[in-house]
Amino acid sequence: MNGLHSIWPKHWSRQANSSATMALAAALMLLILWLMAIPMAHAPEPIGNNAQQFAEGTRVTVQLTLVAGLSGVLLGVLAALGKLSKVALLRWVAATYIWIMRGTPLLVQVLFVYFALPAIFPALRMSDFASASIALALNVGAYNAEAIRAGLLAVPKGQIEAARSLGLNRWFTFIDVTFPQAFKISLPPLVNNIVALLKDSSLAYAIGVVELTNVGNRIQAATFQPVATLITTATIYLLLTTVMTQFSTAVERRFDVEGKLA
Amino acid sequence: MSHAKQADAAGKAPLITVEGVNKRFGDHHVLVDVSTHFNAGEVAVIIGASGSGKSTLLRTLNRLETHDSGRIVVDGIVVDDNAKHLDALRAEVGMVFQQFNLFPHLSALENVALAPRRVRKLDRAAALERAASLLDRVGLKAHQHKHPFQLSGGQQQRVAIARALAMQPRVMLFDEPTSALDPEMVKEVLDVMKALAREGMTMIVVTHEMGFAREVGDRILFFDRGRIACDAPPEQFFDRQDNDRIRAFLGQVAH
Repeated sequence: MNGLHSIWPKHWSRQANSSATMALAAALMLLILWLMAIPMAHAPEPIGNNAQQFAEGTRVTVQLTLVAGLSGVLLGVLAALGKLSKVALLRWVAATYIWIMRGTPLLVQVLFVYFALPAIFPALRMSDFASASIALALNVGAYNAEAIRAGLLAVPKGQIEAARSLGLNRWFTFIDVTFPQAFKISLPPLVNNIVALLKDSSLAYAIGVVELTNVGNRIQAATFQPVATLITTATIYLLLTTVMTQFSTAVERRFDVEGKLA
Repeated sequence: MSHAKQADAAGKAPLITVEGVNKRFGDHHVLVDVSTHFNAGEVAVIIGASGSGKSTLLRTLNRLETHDSGRIVVDGIVVDDNAKHLDALRAEVGMVFQQFNLFPHLSALENVALAPRRVRKLDRAAALERAASLLDRVGLKAHQHKHPFQLSGGQQQRVAIARALAMQPRVMLFDEPTSALDPEMVKEVLDVMKALAREGMTMIVVTHEMGFAREVGDRILFFDRGRIACDAPPEQFFDRQDNDRIRAFLGQVAH
């Protein structure tokens, strides 16, 4: 599929081009979320009369993805740093976290956070949405950790030596030198993970979150029209992942100072 | 020039003192009981075969390598693992690497301005202004907004020198600064280093550039198998050398 980035004037700088693309993709996403019910309402039954429900489910799906995605990147950074830590305990904690999260089904994790956690710790009784967000964040965080760790390892040692020799402390060395370079390398696998997350958020259905898949399935069950409702559901997912990919491609181009991307 | 500077430094404590330093990489004894000192305003040139320990000594001076025993003091700061000592030490000691090690995601200007902003707490405008004047000084005013990949090796190394100078260090360490350069770019980097020496910067230079050593050095230190085998002024080192191993080495690098 052709990128949004090719619609801008040729003489625009790489930064201007990627900023414009990011802004346009974000605006498109908001437009979809706010206004999708209006055109959908004109579709024939069973879509038109349920447009509002589809729109509401889509918003919940995007909210889940956003909350879990952002926390998942943060968790991924922490777990990656843990795995690369000099402290054996931190390495063990990070490795165990990644081992469990990657080794068990996401559906079991969603069910566990919602049903089992409050049974062990009553204080952890949360809404279905919060439970799903936490399970998804923990899961995607484990995958992100490996992507970010690979990026951190790919930054040459000389970069860190140069930063330290200038007197930058460990924090500024990480924030100004290591992380920006590592993030650029980690970005494509991170985007893979976030796209997978958007689709996997449908597992929140299992604990009763009224997200897009839940809405689609309810409508097909009520109307006995599985073809139209499930195609609509899938199309909305495809639209969301497409806009998301456009956004992340623009981010990637923004970091591409060396002009390696065509 | 060199005699005036040495006279000036006489009577003061040396800027850097190295006492009985040992360093092993596994079975390889890289630094064997190395003791020496470096005075303010002095240009010391360290030469020797690869693997003789010369770069390792340089890297122990700002703790990029740890030493196993012995004592190193730089400008009153003991070189050890105390994080406060280390950050203070490294802010006073500039280093230029063989592979430049510029930050590829930052422009030349940002490369130079980063450490003064973060370590010296200069505001962004002041740091950029200082960076621009330093880049001007190394002849790169026209290239200040370029990223490292857009610059030649010689230009990158000059940015790296400006980046180290931006911290206003007491001493500059050069670790084979021209070894990774194409021959036609060596001169532009050496010229910048010569200008620095003329301004009185204290410099410790590991290099294979014998012409530079002879012309700019106040002292030549020759490293052989982890020891300082010779420490002499350049005239004596190059013209009245009585050590056979050193004469053999000089004979090899001359060609």
